[in-house]
Amino acid sequence: MDLDKKTQILILDDEPIVCKRLKPALEKAGYGVETFTRSLEAMHRLTEKTFDLVITDLKMEGLDGMAFLTEVKRRTPDTEVIVITGFATMETARESYQKGVFDFIAKPFKLGEILDVVRKAEANRRQSQS
Amino acid sequence: MKILFAGDDHPYSAYALKKVIELARNTLADVTILVVAPTSASKDVDIPLSPNHALIQALHRYRQEFIHELGEAGSPYAQERFSYEWKMVKFGLWEELKVCRGARKDLKIRLRAGHPANEILAEAKKEGSDLIVLGCSKGSQCLWQDPADVPQAVVGNADCSVLLVKEDKPIKRILACIEDSTVSQESLEMINQMATIHKAQLELVGLTKDGAAKQVEYTRLIEVGDYYGDRGISVKNRLAEMKEFEAVISKETDEDLLAFWMGKKSLLSVLFPKDWMDRFLSTCQSSVLVLR
Repeated sequence: MDLDKKTQILILDDEPIVCKRLKPALEKAGYGVETFTRSLEAMHRLTEKTFDLVITDLKMEGLDGMAFLTEVKRRTPDTEVIVITGFATMETARESYQKGVFDFIAKPFKLGEILDVVRKAEANRRQSQS
Repeated sequence: MKILFAGDDHPYSAYALKKVIELARNTLADVTILVVAPTSASKDVDIPLSPNHALIQALHRYRQEFIHELGEAGSPYAQERFSYEWKMVKFGLWEELKVCRGARKDLKIRLRAGHPANEILAEAKKEGSDLIVLGCSKGSQCLWQDPADVPQAVVGNADCSVLLVKEDKPIKRILACIEDSTVSQESLEMINQMATIHKAQLELVGLTKDGAAKQVEYTRLIEVGDYYGDRGISVKNRLAEMKEFEAVISKETDEDLLAFWMGKKSLLSVLFPKDWMDRFLSTCQSSVLVLR
């Protein structure tokens, strides 16, 4: 399979177990996945590579998820961003949607739920590019 | 997260809905509100109950309250996503209807007919729910009006976690009982949500068998405590003998939330008679969160 044709996903969550759960599930579903537990390292990677989808936690040490998604959208507006978080509020949800977040998923979530949203985001991205 | 709220037309269900609204406000979960019509209701008619039936009225109240609390403009639940959908009017005849859904998150209103516990479990399975929330009578009972054993049947047979709400009280302390079974990441996150939303003190109770806590039990208690400590949640730890579990939970107040894990390998299931769960649910004065 041509790796370049795979939809490329960046996952950022400071909980290693979240990355550990998501990476194999998304790879099995045919996606190219890179995981990061530190936002600054993820940010650096964004300067080297364009991702189709970004899945990020909101509440993290250092650069938080809101700042991260703002930067993703500034650099590559076509990248769809999915927020996963342990604690959301209506205000953070509104702010995220205003910044162009595709969807907002609260923990706990099932892998199937994430896969569904990833597929919808992928379809949305294709539709907006066609 | 997907939440299934199952209600009837009694006050405890209205209390439980308040908890669902609190949870949805802070998790932006997809929510299904379900009412089950009695077994006697016909399954092959447009609507199995009269619009004036108490259950239908209750269903409307629950929808209105949810939308009133969370459906304002800009909210993910705001009813502003319109689409045209085909519905079968009768065999061989369809009608296209304009349907309004939540802008970003779904609020589904469902009515089923049949035995309530069976239908609640079937709906949870169909929707892939992470949490079932239902109310039940307070104090030393844990019952529905009709049939009485719905809470026990749902807790005992659900594949996902279940929150039983006994009273309309704030949750000030969460007593999470940990024993020698697997603690899933999902259930840790569920407790995290509950503690954060209610700003509740979290007390981890390590259940020990025959006095001596094994190294693995201590380690698990410390690991779980560290997990919550790292997330800024205030945690207290203590050990309690498994045989005294019933006494421990009977000392709770109605402002506590008792949480315990009920996996297939749960020691509580192994050590106590088959009816242990029914007895514990009744003994407990507080609301109960059964984790899976």
